[in-house]
Amino acid sequence: MTAPATARASAKTVPVSAKRPLTTLLQAYLACARMEFRAALTYRTAYLSSFAMMLLQIWLLTVVWKALYDGRAEVDGLSLTTTTAYATLTTLQYQLVSPWRSSPIDQRVREGKVAVDLLRPVGFPGQMLSGQLGWASAAVPVLLVALPFALLIGAGQAPASTAAGLAYPVALLGALLVNQLLGLLLGMVSFWTLEVSGALMAYRFVAQFFSGALVPLWFMPGPIRVAAEWLPFQATAYTPAAVYLGQIEGPGIAVALGVQLAWIAALGALSAFVWSRARRRVMAQGG
Amino acid sequence: MRGPRVYLLLAGAAFRAEFQYRGNLFINIIGGLFYQGVGLAFIWAVLDRFGQVGGWGLGEIAFLYGIRLTAHGLWLLPGHQLIHVDEVVIEGEYDRYLVRPVAPLVQLLTRRVRLSSLGDLAGGVVLLSIASASAPVDWSPGAVGFLLLAVVGGALVEGSLQLAASALVFRMKRVSPIKFAIDMIFSDFGNYPLKIFGPVAGFGLTFVFPLAFVAYLPATVLMGREEELAVPDWLAWGAPAIGVVLMYAAYRFWERQSRHYESSGH
Repeated sequence: MTAPATARASAKTVPVSAKRPLTTLLQAYLACARMEFRAALTYRTAYLSSFAMMLLQIWLLTVVWKALYDGRAEVDGLSLTTTTAYATLTTLQYQLVSPWRSSPIDQRVREGKVAVDLLRPVGFPGQMLSGQLGWASAAVPVLLVALPFALLIGAGQAPASTAAGLAYPVALLGALLVNQLLGLLLGMVSFWTLEVSGALMAYRFVAQFFSGALVPLWFMPGPIRVAAEWLPFQATAYTPAAVYLGQIEGPGIAVALGVQLAWIAALGALSAFVWSRARRRVMAQGG
Repeated sequence: MRGPRVYLLLAGAAFRAEFQYRGNLFINIIGGLFYQGVGLAFIWAVLDRFGQVGGWGLGEIAFLYGIRLTAHGLWLLPGHQLIHVDEVVIEGEYDRYLVRPVAPLVQLLTRRVRLSSLGDLAGGVVLLSIASASAPVDWSPGAVGFLLLAVVGGALVEGSLQLAASALVFRMKRVSPIKFAIDMIFSDFGNYPLKIFGPVAGFGLTFVFPLAFVAYLPATVLMGREEELAVPDWLAWGAPAIGVVLMYAAYRFWERQSRHYESSGH
């Protein structure tokens, strides 16, 4: 296990002083991210099999959409290829941006490791957030390997336009941040109640459904679609995929990115507020 | 009959232990319901727009889903602890089972109960009851009896695959990825009429990975849609028996493989 060693190294590189230069702070956050990145790769079989299951999932969705279209070229103005490309893209994205294992906080509180985290001279929410991003980025290497297979099984499309191609990485980054901020907020609940597994379970499935990762928002029944548009989850899956495929275009792209930004600001502010309350409640379980 | 009595005693103790945390119990059941609900939400949302998949409407799919989910819950309630077989063997907890006068498998199954499986079961029963009323089935006493047998048979089919995969732990040490994959295939692929997957995958999901016997074959014959089957009718009607045969085979496989247990040294 390399995690403890890296933890010590990261603590050492950061001098304990009131004024820290930005680069040192960034280095510290990077160390947190690296730690979680390595932890994610420790369980190789689980890691690799999750990609086999991803390919199965893409195949399943492709077959189901084909059966649903039942020979029709278009439904509601959307072709089968657009829909299967959407399913392929959202399933790939889901490896990177998913409500599963969104935050290590509840586990660290339960195991008392949070005490060590608090002793480190960098802010706790920042440590957790960069750790979460590090964990998520562990999916990148195998995603690149799996990509050709995914396109073969599902359907691939080039970005709908140059604007779509340029906006997609921005929207994906926005999706990643919204998702991780939601995870951070939820994780901090464990400072008030230790047993969060049931609530987490419910959250994950609500988040998954309303993100549009399974059903694109355009096929959702009216009232559900309205609810999905007002919830933050659509920013985590639907927004980047719809931008890429040109279902959101022109000024719509700016609006969609603006909505993401607004969610990032709102969730960030809320996290800061919750943390200011939570830090007084920290109760370490004899770690 | 000492075996079943010991099992019931141990399972009862595990239940009482879990019921001590009432709030958690409730939230776990809700969690279990959500786990299965998201698949149903997907089907409901798309069928609202598309009407049918492979010629099956929402009522028919709900009936299929209900059978699969009930079978899943029925298996999961006694069988959930198999999910921990990796740690039990790696950390040497299995050593303790060997020195006690009860079958190790029984001790493994009763080490705890996971109450979220009650959510799966309750969700399945409710869905199946509602869907049975609207599904195009002629509810003679024989049909009701076949449905009950099919649900038990479905639970045995799913359980047999999980037990056989668990048995590999004695040689491979870490089998949870295989078991997650099995679980995913059951819970994602099991909710659709098999014919949409095409002939090759349809054959594979019947004779290689016996998913069809859990819900698709029984649901099809109950609704009188035999004409879409690629297998003879008698095989579909015999689905519950397949479950018994597979479970027996899986149990024998477990027994044989468990002789390869190597203690981690405690």
